[in-house]
Amino acid sequence: MDNRQDSWRLGLDIGGTFTDLLLVRGTDGRMVLHKVLTTYPDPAAGALTGLCELLDLAGLPITALDEIVHSTTLATNAIIERRGPRTGLLITAGFRNLLDLGKEQRYDTYDLFLPYPEPLIPLALRREIDERTLADGTILRGVTPAQVVARVRELVEDGIAGLAIVFLHAYVNPANEEAAAATIAAHFPNLPLSLSSQVAPLMGEWKRASTTTADAYVRPLVDSYLAHLAAHLRQMGFAGRFSLLLSDGSAASPETVRRYPIRLLESGPAAGALAGAAVGRRLTAQPAFGFVGDDLLAFDMGGTTAKACLVEGSRPHVGQGFEAARASRFRRGSGLPIAVPSVDLIEIGAGGGSIAYRDELGLLQVGPQSAAADPGPACYGLGGDQPTVTDANLLLGYLNADYFLGGRLRLDRDAAERAVGRLAVALGLSPSVCAWGIHRVVNENMAAAARVHVIERGHDPRRFTLVASGGAGPAHVAGIARLLGAPRYVLPMGAGALACLGDLDAPYALTLERTHLARLDSLDWAAVQAVVADLIATARRHLLDAGIAPERIHLDLAADMRMVGQVHHIRIPVSREELQEGRSSALCARFHRYYTQLYARSNPAMPLELVGWRVTAQGLPPETPPPSIPSTDTPDPSPAQKAVRPLYLGEASGCAETPIYDRAALAAGMVLTGPAVVEEREATALLLPGDRGVVDCFGNIVVTVAAV
Amino acid sequence: MSNPVLDPAGLQIIWSRLISISEEMFTTVWRTAFSPVVAVVQDHGCEILDAEGNCLAHAPSSMPAFNLAMPVVTRAVLARHPATTIQPGDVFVTNDPWLSAGHLPDLCVVTPVFKADRVVAFCATIAHANDIGGTNDDRRPRTVYEEGLQIPILKLYDRGQRNDTLFAMIAANVRGPAEVIGDLEALVAANEVGARRIAALLDEYGLTDTAELSAAIQARTEQAVRHAIAAIPDGIYRASTQFDALTEPLTLAVTVTVCGSNLTVDYTGSADEITPGGINATLSYTRAQTFYTLMCALAPHLPHNEGSLRPFTIVAPEGSILNCRFPAPVNLRLRSGWHLNTILFAALAEVLPGRVMAGSGFLAAFQARGKRPCGSDFNVPFFAGGGQGASEGRDGRAGYIYPSTAAGMSVEVFESCTPLLIHSKAILPNSGGAGRWRGGPGQRVVVSLLPGWKAPVELLMTPDRMTCPAPGLAGGKPGAPVRVTVNGCTPAPDSTFYQAGYVTLATPDDILVWDLAGGGGWGDPAHRDLAASRHDREQGMIT
Repeated sequence: MDNRQDSWRLGLDIGGTFTDLLLVRGTDGRMVLHKVLTTYPDPAAGALTGLCELLDLAGLPITALDEIVHSTTLATNAIIERRGPRTGLLITAGFRNLLDLGKEQRYDTYDLFLPYPEPLIPLALRREIDERTLADGTILRGVTPAQVVARVRELVEDGIAGLAIVFLHAYVNPANEEAAAATIAAHFPNLPLSLSSQVAPLMGEWKRASTTTADAYVRPLVDSYLAHLAAHLRQMGFAGRFSLLLSDGSAASPETVRRYPIRLLESGPAAGALAGAAVGRRLTAQPAFGFVGDDLLAFDMGGTTAKACLVEGSRPHVGQGFEAARASRFRRGSGLPIAVPSVDLIEIGAGGGSIAYRDELGLLQVGPQSAAADPGPACYGLGGDQPTVTDANLLLGYLNADYFLGGRLRLDRDAAERAVGRLAVALGLSPSVCAWGIHRVVNENMAAAARVHVIERGHDPRRFTLVASGGAGPAHVAGIARLLGAPRYVLPMGAGALACLGDLDAPYALTLERTHLARLDSLDWAAVQAVVADLIATARRHLLDAGIAPERIHLDLAADMRMVGQVHHIRIPVSREELQEGRSSALCARFHRYYTQLYARSNPAMPLELVGWRVTAQGLPPETPPPSIPSTDTPDPSPAQKAVRPLYLGEASGCAETPIYDRAALAAGMVLTGPAVVEEREATALLLPGDRGVVDCFGNIVVTVAAV
Repeated sequence: MSNPVLDPAGLQIIWSRLISISEEMFTTVWRTAFSPVVAVVQDHGCEILDAEGNCLAHAPSSMPAFNLAMPVVTRAVLARHPATTIQPGDVFVTNDPWLSAGHLPDLCVVTPVFKADRVVAFCATIAHANDIGGTNDDRRPRTVYEEGLQIPILKLYDRGQRNDTLFAMIAANVRGPAEVIGDLEALVAANEVGARRIAALLDEYGLTDTAELSAAIQARTEQAVRHAIAAIPDGIYRASTQFDALTEPLTLAVTVTVCGSNLTVDYTGSADEITPGGINATLSYTRAQTFYTLMCALAPHLPHNEGSLRPFTIVAPEGSILNCRFPAPVNLRLRSGWHLNTILFAALAEVLPGRVMAGSGFLAAFQARGKRPCGSDFNVPFFAGGGQGASEGRDGRAGYIYPSTAAGMSVEVFESCTPLLIHSKAILPNSGGAGRWRGGPGQRVVVSLLPGWKAPVELLMTPDRMTCPAPGLAGGKPGAPVRVTVNGCTPAPDSTFYQAGYVTLATPDDILVWDLAGGGGWGDPAHRDLAASRHDREQGMIT
């Protein structure tokens, strides 16, 4: 096959366990997928081997590749596993213990002995500098170059590979940090530096210091990894564009990443969230589904954890920060705050390997402890004897013992029965009610977390379409959709390796914010227009520099607003016309509408205040590829049916013979009616009774939840 | 659907939903609040109660002292307004210290939840108002009348109609009324969010009320707590301590009696209520602090509700400092109530080692007050944590804010709203109590006016643990006490510091050095591991 005329793009996602690679041809959307184990200590080695295998599989030379977009959990794992090199810190005199004290908040009311993460930089590698900037930006004391050199020399002799500089109030005036950096650069030209005024220029010394030290900590690793990967790709003959996926779900050049390596931290989860957006765009391209950029909840459930992320329009919701390396799993407050824009997702301990048990109240609980991959669920037959979600799903008939991971792992039904049976006895339940309970409790855990997450961001979960991914997502999404009151869910093709699709959909984007405090009733619109015009110009220039054509740049404008005197604000979208015409009343009305949706009531008599403006510029993602699976005129799915087996679907329905379909044999236009199971190699999907799923022309199943 | 309430899977599901609703209420409060003490420090709590006023669930981050007060207030509302007379749209408020959280700034708002014209539950929220009127000098009041505005149980909203008379009355009696009124509205909104969610939850599960659900939740929790108590050997466990009080140390004493799965706490032997100065605790507050401390030691991972409380009897003699009579002054009630964890842990140390800790350095705070050049006032709190008490097998942490879930104050945020300069904020070496396991060290905070600042600034502070440091346990040494010096001198007995509870920074040359208390140690210091001592030296914990 001669593909030299074609334009191919590669999505490359390196996760903790698997490395996924996806080739997509621009002309016809043809996809070739490959999955290999992630290699340690050099994940690039496995990825490059996988790339060669994939190119062989597709019969392509590497020169056929126009672009590679790469997401990775490298940086976040380096922090969790503490694989970074010795890193130093310069900090304002008097504050060397900032990293030890943190926020000084106990994140659990009753637990006296809460774990916290160890600082990334030990006390021995921190040095105080006699300098001071005041809250208004006045320099009270400048830095003394001799002192800076002497302190840094000590640290260099101690073997540091990177240095963070965190001076108080540097977010207002970076002069002292910059002066110190210039001095250091003159004396130690090879020492990489991370300045708090550049990495996270915001008020609040703990968050800024935590973010800056993490940036310095991962910098040497990210630097050498990127250099290594780029060199090998060049050697192999790759001449296209190489981009990385940032935490906020935008693509960026390696140069940008090397300037702010901390922005790579949530790259992996961002790919998963973008994958949900990618599926949404494919649905929007098919008018028959009446799906016009609706809000989505990207729902990913793997072996140990489940994640959910809002996708508004076509973009995953981006928050102002997250916590890395939580010392107490999944608990807010137990991690290192990282204040950079990141896809805003929740993660809970709910996966296929989550262990079910009887708690001290005598109730059924599931997770967050997980049997993980080793020993794994009891049914793996690898020595695990705790009942897990996967064991329950097997007993309920949802999983096929002979076709797990495409038959690569035979599941042991007897072992699952023994494990779940013991728990059932302890709870006084029948084994099937117990297995059904495990399935429901894990659904509820996920739904509860997702509900709070969605509502905290001012949305109504009943408006959302869920997009399931991960090995366990498709088996649970039907139940979770019901709990959230969501009308629809989507079972995407290749749900087990969807992140690569997200990589390929990532836009080049930049979000800029500026604080601009003013009352709405006396707003100087000319000043606002000037501020916003400046933000827009900067953002556009950034995208033009990245090679995005002007007509493909899309701009979004939002205002942060609150009632005068409030401490927190909410974000209100604003149109360019409203800005140009200075339509205060439109903003006022929208604020109260949003506020009431969020908090049940508002007070229209209160004067309003603008806190700041935000501009997001993004290059539109590439055109949606054309259909990729054969279609049929007859909705009857029986040609794709491979078996029938009994499924347990609750006390009311009991066990029912249920059709099992082969994902690969489905054609566009087929209609599945629940209960039904759809099997593919990496994941098994479940439709509950009454659900109606239509196969779209990309092989996704778009399911309408049965009316209650 | 079969009965979802009693099955161990169904109950788990609906119960966790209640907790997540209370969490959503909690978020609504701080997101919509106007004062930093609520919006940033999150000094508030939210709860869902059944139709009788029994707690079903509270927000995981609720201030501990508030959780037990909300049922007391709700039952008092019911006593005054029987359920049949309560209308949709009614919202009740009170700050009665003998019902609510023990001092006037803690405003409690209670909202009924209706289903088919019947009250089936309540949502309650308490938050610390930034001001409640009265004197700013907590050392001098002789009665609660001097401490601010008292609000008996009144309707804040009557069938949806805002009670403008009451709002005007409150606004006229507090400093910074916009913040106080704004926060009050935040509490009303949070309860309304909760009420809507609860009604929807009951619909979803086809429940007509919360009675059966409440009984199941309480029974399960009670049983689990009884199980934890029964694991303690039957016996009588005693402890007492001296605490600073305001002028000279006073005694707190406790007798804990464990008999099967029942536990009685009796504070007989504690000092009498005292005036002037509002360091008296109401029984409501004493019960809340006692219960909180016992749950930390016995069942920290349970979701708590009315059922957790049933195995306990909590007694304090009427007229004592832990059960003061109206109209005793109460504003500084944490100065007595916060020591209850110290003596309860001490009493149980022998039977629950590893689950209790030695005395802690507490949350330490001052309030900076003065005028800006433009004439406007500022009144900004600074919070930081003392050292944690050590426990069997564990050293204490530094910067441990307890017994509270508040956060420390950011130096940058503080400096951006005051004319003050924090010169340093660092761990204070050698301040953690020695022991086989070391107490958490305190901190040293150094403060002055900004260079060139002309107007004086008052720092309101009545620090605890100055005379009586955090005691050690099982042979461990006490932590270092709090020290306050201005320009190197400790304030004289006749200074404003002792007489009125503040120090003044008059010129930029005045330097305040504030040492926060260390936590007590656990076990004989002679048995401390050498490697641990070396590590302490490397970490600057000891010199």
